[in-house]
Amino acid sequence: MSLALQVIVTGLAAGGVYGLVAVGYSVIYRLTGIVHFAYGELIALGVFVTLLVAAGTGPVTQQTAGTARFVVALVVGVGVCVVAGAGSYLFAVQPYLVRGSTIGWVAAITAVAFAIQAMLAAIFTRPSYVFPDLLPFRRVGHDGFVTVGGASIQVRSFFVIAVALALAAAAGWTLERTRVGRALQAIASDAEGARIVGVPVDTLVAMAFGAAGGMAAIAAVVAAPSGAVEVETGALLGLKGLVAALIVRFGSPLRAMVAGLALGLAEAAIANAHIGSFQLGASYREVLPLAIVLLVVALWPQLEAVEELE
Amino acid sequence: MTALVERTGGALAEAARDARSAWTRRHTAAAALVALAALVPAIAPSWVHVDSVANGFYLALAATGLWLTVALGGMPSLGQGAFMAIGAFTVALLTARAGWPALPATLVAVAAAAAGGVLAGAGVVRLRPVFIAVTTWILTWAVTIFLLAFRSVSGGAQGLVLPSGISVTTHYELGLALLVAAVLVAASLARGGPGIELRAARQVPAAAAALGVPTARRRLGAFVASAAIGGLAGGLAVQLAGVADASEYGAYLSFKLFVAVLLGGVASALGPSAGIAGLALVTGAAGVLGSLEGVESARFDPMLAALLLLAVLALGGEGIVPLVRRLVGRDAERPVRRAPTVVSVPAERRPGTKPPILVADSLTKRFGSLVAADSVSLELVAGEVCALIGPNGSGKTTMLRLLAGVYRPDGGRVLVDGADLGDAPPRERAARGVVRTLQTSAAFGDLTALENLLVGMGLRREHGGAFRTAFATPLAREEDERLRADARSLLADVGLGWAADVRAGELAGPEQRLVAVAAALAAGPRVLLLDEPSAGSSLDDVSRLDALLSRLRVQGMSILLVEHNLRLVRSVADRVIVMAAGAVIATGTPADVAGDADVRAAYLGRAAL
Repeated sequence: MSLALQVIVTGLAAGGVYGLVAVGYSVIYRLTGIVHFAYGELIALGVFVTLLVAAGTGPVTQQTAGTARFVVALVVGVGVCVVAGAGSYLFAVQPYLVRGSTIGWVAAITAVAFAIQAMLAAIFTRPSYVFPDLLPFRRVGHDGFVTVGGASIQVRSFFVIAVALALAAAAGWTLERTRVGRALQAIASDAEGARIVGVPVDTLVAMAFGAAGGMAAIAAVVAAPSGAVEVETGALLGLKGLVAALIVRFGSPLRAMVAGLALGLAEAAIANAHIGSFQLGASYREVLPLAIVLLVVALWPQLEAVEELE
Repeated sequence: MTALVERTGGALAEAARDARSAWTRRHTAAAALVALAALVPAIAPSWVHVDSVANGFYLALAATGLWLTVALGGMPSLGQGAFMAIGAFTVALLTARAGWPALPATLVAVAAAAAGGVLAGAGVVRLRPVFIAVTTWILTWAVTIFLLAFRSVSGGAQGLVLPSGISVTTHYELGLALLVAAVLVAASLARGGPGIELRAARQVPAAAAALGVPTARRRLGAFVASAAIGGLAGGLAVQLAGVADASEYGAYLSFKLFVAVLLGGVASALGPSAGIAGLALVTGAAGVLGSLEGVESARFDPMLAALLLLAVLALGGEGIVPLVRRLVGRDAERPVRRAPTVVSVPAERRPGTKPPILVADSLTKRFGSLVAADSVSLELVAGEVCALIGPNGSGKTTMLRLLAGVYRPDGGRVLVDGADLGDAPPRERAARGVVRTLQTSAAFGDLTALENLLVGMGLRREHGGAFRTAFATPLAREEDERLRADARSLLADVGLGWAADVRAGELAGPEQRLVAVAAALAAGPRVLLLDEPSAGSSLDDVSRLDALLSRLRVQGMSILLVEHNLRLVRSVADRVIVMAAGAVIATGTPADVAGDADVRAAYLGRAAL
């Protein structure tokens, strides 16, 4: 019972962030038909710019940064992320979409991913970083952990889950209820038609790219203090979000969010699962979900078959 | 035994004779270049790192393998690094842990990578290009994460240290030889039937299937060949390195190989090698600059590779090899366009009294509440042209797709020579003589007119499998030459002989449609399903089409023609079937139908009566 609770809370906290990334992938896919392979790196860019402004590249403890400076840092980090996201669409994706070249945009967006990763690796040379925590969760309970029915749970987790759900709700509301959201839906269902009736397609899509990047960056910053941050963290986060988005075939934001939460839960469950007396552990947590999603895709019905495209 | 030796000797002598007769100054130059490269370890100054060049050969080998998937198959695979990793760690585990000798370990590594290719490919090749990129990307990560997570397999941070094997110079010569072989094999495949079929399927999958191309099988073949070559390259590269380090085989390696293919240019089998060389030059130059400034530059390699790729893509994305070719000015001179001659038609006609070849028995197809075809029946006998006409949206194209096996009917069946075709897919029906042309896409634009016809000829190949084509066996070459000659004469028959080596995309619209019809003929059909072959045609074009169809009829071909041009219908059709709102509303001779009140109402609306 206590173990189950622990699995659920940690799973949902990780899954909330995966879910937001999956939402970003799905929205972008539905708008443009592309998969944003640089998404994880864009998020890493946001996180590390925030870190740079808040605390520099030197060693930090969780207490170093002041509140005001941290807020400025967050704004700058998310801002850079939004600009880079929009820019990556306009310069790396849009030209190839026009030419209808899948290989072209796959190459270009992956190149952007590695360029960002290499740049971050050149500036942030230590193997891992501690992210300053704005909110004093450490003071709650036993150094930030509370014991509920025998389970030791990080208090931050609840905060991360809440922020992820709030961001997802905000994204959903924007898509459903605002003028911009309706215009985006029009683009998703028929980009050419939307263009003809005067919707500024490229501007809006670039904005969506930026917003998706910014949203996920906020979630990542919120989650970052819970563990160590590495340059590769962004790529891994991008990968998890991609797995979640793929399993629902880049479906609606709600489904993507649910898939992300499910992935987080699955990882937490696998990490704690026992087969007989053998504990699967962290290694399996990373590998099994990837293997399972590949298997599921292999078993997809002929729906995606090449003959369909005429 | 003696007979076998004699046969082999004969074949070799013949191959040598062929090679001599086709030998040009280019071949001499290429052979000299390879010979010079082979001498490098012996004569090179000390600052040349033979081991780095040997490693470059192995990378180029893996990239050449990937070229089959990306350039021929049109599948953006980001997973080649995974297959190199499988090869590398199979060799590492077998030699370091199990004490195997290098050679059998390498062979097992190739088999393991190929098996991985079959497993991954079976799911992947059916997907859209976007999803191929996504799943292969996840595959690459899955393999890396697996290796990093399970130290018992990968040796953790230290990696697995391999026992010492062959010398660096041997690696160099082996890498060079394998690379040359791989490039030749890849080029041979691209020129031959499997390559042409893959390129056709890459452009318009449905049209390729309608011509009988086994798209999924061809793609799987390309994917597995890529994987096997990747496994071989990985298995050898790890022996050269002496240690298997999981972090070397991550997503970046997959990306780098993908970059190499694009950087070199997808149009040529030499592209991947040029791409790897280009990457090595740029990172090498950066390394020299970095060492002058006292900066360790290896960290910037991914950035340089990324920026180089973005630059090449921004400049039009052709890549190094096509660029060099253009600079050297080796473009063939443009053929002169000639107006096709109208082919004369023999006068006598054989009336169709034989049993029907194709029977549609109450075919029904619904899309939701819309009944696109409502229990439609029709029969075609040999040497008959039957026109299917009707207003837009009346279900004509739906009927063709039902007959060709693109749609599964909700009711009814299709019989050929009295045998029920069941759920046979388009390519199987093409093999049984029912071939369709598509309404929207005419020819395969990136293929030459001749290659378009060779796509259709694929069904006639008996010795043109991937292996025989790759190694250009005498039978495969002989057959290929025969089919090319047939295709040329067929192309001349439809009046496009001059266009044989012109890219179909550069031809005029009506010419492209003629190429598409000729490609369908090349498949050797008995029943031809044509979807608006005259769309966009001038009067001249229509009369040429008219002559062609009339001649085919005389030769005994059965043609079902969906057509809006009623002049053409009146001229060639023996029988006309009129559809409206998914149902047949009239059948008869062109004259009968023209006087039918229901038909006029369907076309013009009741008010016109």
